[in-house]
Amino acid sequence: MENYIEKIQIRKSNKLAGLYPSTKALIVLMYAVCTFIVNTIEVTDIGLPLFLIPQFLVILILCKASGVLGRCIKALNTVAVVALIILLVQTFLVPGGDLIWRFGILRIYERGLRTAVSLSFLIMNIAGIFVWLFQTTENKEISRALEDSGMNYKAAYVFTSTLQMIEILGRNSKTIMNAQKARGVETEGNLIVRAKAFFPSLVPLILGAVISSEERVLTLEARGFTMQGPKTHLFELKKSGWEGKAAAASVLITVLLLAGRIMLWLL
Amino acid sequence: MQTNKGKGERKMQEKKYSIKTDFSMLAILIIPISVAVNFVGGQLASILKLPMYLDTIGTIFAGMLCGPWVGAVAGGLTNVVTGIANPVNFAFIPVNILAGLVTGFLARKKMFNVWWKWIISMILMAVVAVVSSAPIVVLVYGGVTGSGTSLITAAAMAAGANIWAAFFGTEGIFQLLDRVISFIICRLVIQVIPPRTLVKFGCGMNYIKEKDKK
Repeated sequence: MENYIEKIQIRKSNKLAGLYPSTKALIVLMYAVCTFIVNTIEVTDIGLPLFLIPQFLVILILCKASGVLGRCIKALNTVAVVALIILLVQTFLVPGGDLIWRFGILRIYERGLRTAVSLSFLIMNIAGIFVWLFQTTENKEISRALEDSGMNYKAAYVFTSTLQMIEILGRNSKTIMNAQKARGVETEGNLIVRAKAFFPSLVPLILGAVISSEERVLTLEARGFTMQGPKTHLFELKKSGWEGKAAAASVLITVLLLAGRIMLWLL
Repeated sequence: MQTNKGKGERKMQEKKYSIKTDFSMLAILIIPISVAVNFVGGQLASILKLPMYLDTIGTIFAGMLCGPWVGAVAGGLTNVVTGIANPVNFAFIPVNILAGLVTGFLARKKMFNVWWKWIISMILMAVVAVVSSAPIVVLVYGGVTGSGTSLITAAAMAAGANIWAAFFGTEGIFQLLDRVISFIICRLVIQVIPPRTLVKFGCGMNYIKEKDKK
């Protein structure tokens, strides 16, 4: 028993990655505020918010300092694809303002370029800080922190259970699909054939999950899930010791940035 | 199981709904399943290369069985969880919440019982999905999110169509198809759930045939 409790604990040597989840949430919020402030600083003749691009380096540095750069870049790739598509579409398709550049049928207008740069790098920055949050925090930690911050234990259970369920049903769906293929359900061919394969894969999956949830109700009841009273936990959340410093730093940077922005307006 | 038993006893009377009884133990366990079904449905649609998202099947299922509030929670949680992998999804939380709410209220009004009511419900659900996602796609992402249908939207915009018109045109058709398939799947599942299980769900009574009620 002693061994098992030790096994489920999460120990992090990195002080940044080991921050308490609510401190991380504060950093995320402050970073988002900073991003919107930076977005209002427009440079060059046509007013591009170009400072958003170097700001993105902050995320990479933060990920590197937390020791999760590799995993973060993998997750950021999916965001980068969306941002790139938005950048291209907005640049070439939104008319308005002066014509800046043309080559054959491709034209870039002032307004299009401005929204393109602003929108795509806003998304990169805000999505990036969330990527950092979720790559440094395990789901178990999030649900425990939610419960500690006053969330109902049932809601916290739903959150943890959801993440487990996705894994379980994902596995089951592969099994069911293979079984249906073996029975002769076609999964390749034209659109209608493929659409028809969707039903025999999904219906048994949902049905099985619903029926088994009935048994899970009984199991949870038997373990005293609906009992009133204080709950005990096997998993303990540890603080890394940098919570105060990190929170102060993030708030301070935001306030300074805001003050600087207001100064720029007044001057 | 207190609440479930209570529901069984007054099954023949006019049903009173409250948020608290909506979230029975069984409903709480249906939420994770719904989220996972949304997830798997979306994955399956992309494995089979279907041009629809099909990632609201679980939300619709939760709404149909357990009412609007459980549906809304299932919908919102789906985008929170998928947002962990791809934060672009966070912006679409309201769309999925609304999908759950609308389905749930339709289920309470017994709009899923007769075939002509199905058609009205499906059109209504598709309209809500398009109308609620349009402002987010256009204002937050500038009309394009990198999904399959957004290429068509981009093509329409390139041909000179207005950004809103381009979005409503392409998205409308695919959302309606999406809702039709999602609804058929939910209906097929509910049809084979035995009545003894159905009565335990908030809106389950609406799907039990008259002869089984006796």
